[in-house]
Amino acid sequence: MHIPDGFLDIVTIIVTYAIFIMYLAYSLLKAKGISADKISLATVLAAGIFATQMLNWPLPGGTSLHFVGGALAGILLGPWLGFLTMFLVLFIQCIVFHDGGITALGANVLNMGIIGVLVGYYIFTVTNKVVREARKARIIGAFLGGWISVIVAGIACGLEIGFSPACPYGVCVTVPVMGSWHAVLGVIEGIITALVVDYIALKAPHIIQGVGVVHK
Amino acid sequence: MISTKALIIIILLILISPVFGIILADIVGYHEPLDVAAELLGLKDIGEEINWTPFFDYKVPGLPDVIGYIISGFIGVGIILGIGYIAYKIAGGMKRKEA
Repeated sequence: MHIPDGFLDIVTIIVTYAIFIMYLAYSLLKAKGISADKISLATVLAAGIFATQMLNWPLPGGTSLHFVGGALAGILLGPWLGFLTMFLVLFIQCIVFHDGGITALGANVLNMGIIGVLVGYYIFTVTNKVVREARKARIIGAFLGGWISVIVAGIACGLEIGFSPACPYGVCVTVPVMGSWHAVLGVIEGIITALVVDYIALKAPHIIQGVGVVHK
Repeated sequence: MISTKALIIIILLILISPVFGIILADIVGYHEPLDVAAELLGLKDIGEEINWTPFFDYKVPGLPDVIGYIISGFIGVGIILGIGYIAYKIAGGMKRKEA
């Protein structure tokens, strides 16, 4: 899902950069005064997501599958610290390894760092309010959060590419292609997110940021 | 700041990562789909003209791809842990000041 350089036009680049810089500034303000323990958890999670994203499972046919981690970061750390965690991963990938274009950094942060985290976090939160049984709620919530966050991020990616004049295919092509493909790949994201959240909820329930039902 | 268990898991993930990122990718002929699309469309990658990093595409100059991939993993994780450690110390210092 990392958009390389060349895909986006100047308007999309400026708009996505503006959104991510404003969101970054607001997240830093919201995260002010956060405890050293939370920073420690965010750092370990960022390192884990970075390492996991290197496990790029190539699939016959020329594509690949790797864990994104936005929903997991949102569920474990909340929307602001979850975003900062994903931003750190995406920024290092772009600046140090040129994974994702420098002109597309704003779009990649928007898709995986903002949309991925927010969608995962809110789906998990809503599911935990709707489903009564605690464990079922967190497993379903984390699965749906992981799965749908990847689909929505993929659709956003399709929109950014499709609207760009550099791409000859319009959004009528790019959005269904990106959305449907990520709907398939996202199932694995959902399963991994659910397994990790359930494991952490059993072993260390206090670190789950979501709604109270997981603390029962 | 980081538990031994978490550190071991991260190290193991990095050590096995070339199996997926390099070896299996070569076997199935994988290339990042958006990179392939960019090449087919003749889109310009700014990195081809201005390369700001020696670790382009998780490679280390002069080293085989598999070793370079592993070293890149440790470099990435090291930078993340370094930034996290600075933030951790700043947060700890602020808390002490408030107390």
